[in-house]
Amino acid sequence: MTILPFPCAMSSALRRAQRKDLLSALRVSGSPVIVDLSGCPALNHEDIDLVLECMAQVAGRDTQVLFVAGSGVNRVLLEVTRIPSLVPVFNSVKEALAYSETAAGSDTKDQRASQSQRVWGAA
Amino acid sequence: MELGAFVVVPGREDFTAIHEVQPHVVASFENPRPLYSSRMPIVGNDVLQSWMDRIRKLGVQSLWLTSGRRDGTVTRSELAGFARQGVERLLVIKLNSYAEMDLSDLLRFHCESRNPVTEAQDARGQLGVSLLDQLALRATEEKHELSSAATDCGRTPYQFSGYAKRILAARERQELVGDALTGACAMRPFGKQISDQVWIGEGVSLASSARIVGPTYIGARTIIRAGATIGPYTSVERDCVVDCGTTVERSTVLPHTYLAPGLLIQDGVVDGGFLEHLGWGTVADLQPAGLGSRIPRRESRRQASCEVPPDVSSPADSVPAWNFGSSSAASQPWLQVQL
Repeated sequence: MTILPFPCAMSSALRRAQRKDLLSALRVSGSPVIVDLSGCPALNHEDIDLVLECMAQVAGRDTQVLFVAGSGVNRVLLEVTRIPSLVPVFNSVKEALAYSETAAGSDTKDQRASQSQRVWGAA
Repeated sequence: MELGAFVVVPGREDFTAIHEVQPHVVASFENPRPLYSSRMPIVGNDVLQSWMDRIRKLGVQSLWLTSGRRDGTVTRSELAGFARQGVERLLVIKLNSYAEMDLSDLLRFHCESRNPVTEAQDARGQLGVSLLDQLALRATEEKHELSSAATDCGRTPYQFSGYAKRILAARERQELVGDALTGACAMRPFGKQISDQVWIGEGVSLASSARIVGPTYIGARTIIRAGATIGPYTSVERDCVVDCGTTVERSTVLPHTYLAPGLLIQDGVVDGGFLEHLGWGTVADLQPAGLGSRIPRRESRRQASCEVPPDVSSPADSVPAWNFGSSSAASQPWLQVQL
């Protein structure tokens, strides 16, 4: 599990660098990634575009991306743009970690169940 | 006994309609408008007009209208002016609630109880409707707090058990919208019914692929673009644009609001670029994210004149207007309105 901060620096140069780092990290990550928007008080149109780009980076791979809204305002803006219907969005990192652990647990159970089914089928 | 009526519109309201008629009188009203205005239409209805209708039934010929502070308190000088003009009894209404109240019953109660001040309240508290006799008008302190007058004096308040909603609170406002759409209160959508529980105002433009799910109201000159879904339990008030593919459910969109394509608005009140989520109580600014904005009035009229097909027009939907009487001085922050 990787937790990445969402770019929210005041300086545009620093912000561009953070953005590049975030997208690169998402591109190479093989484990679930939590993108934390807590540092951004309110998302603007560039932020919404970047959230969509983050989703695009992991599309078609097994890597799961989760977003932490970090504030009620961000949560509302994400809901309005229908992003929670595509990827999980949480209020805090703690909630996202709990969800990820639960999801990992159920995945392991599913794998065990499918393995036992295969063994039973072979017998 | 001469009865005067005084309506206080809390929160320095948008008096654009008045400004167009008497611009010199309302200069003092030009202040930033709060998120919700009690003058904003509710399924096309003006709550001020509904109170004016009730006041008219009492036989009162005119009322005094003023814009007050957010809490609707009235100053001593404003009330003292009425006493000097010979008004012996004054009905004061703070425009912060919609109540289906029989004012003659309030007046009867006031006379029978012989209180100098009678305040109307329901199970959730005061409704902002009071009756004051000359004694109370003269005894006003430096700042007359109507809300405390009745209780401080130990007077019996007028207990109202009918339908009432506080219209400055987003949640109650949305409840009133739902009740008006489903016939649970006396307020009715101000427009033409085009299908089961769906009403539209005049000059509404609905794309053929737009989906309208009742109960829903769409106000005058509003444009609903392709693939949008409106409803259920939704009111998109006049002069709005809901762009392609946007869904609005269990929400109110206040006048002159633009909503960008592909959005999902649920359980909210949108006013220009601001969205209040009713469940979380959060207010989000949609403008920096490019999701919504306020439409300049002139532009909305131009859009309406260019794009509105004539076949969906209704003569009914417009915010009710009123005639103005004389104002005693241009510097006075109030207007006399003939009923």
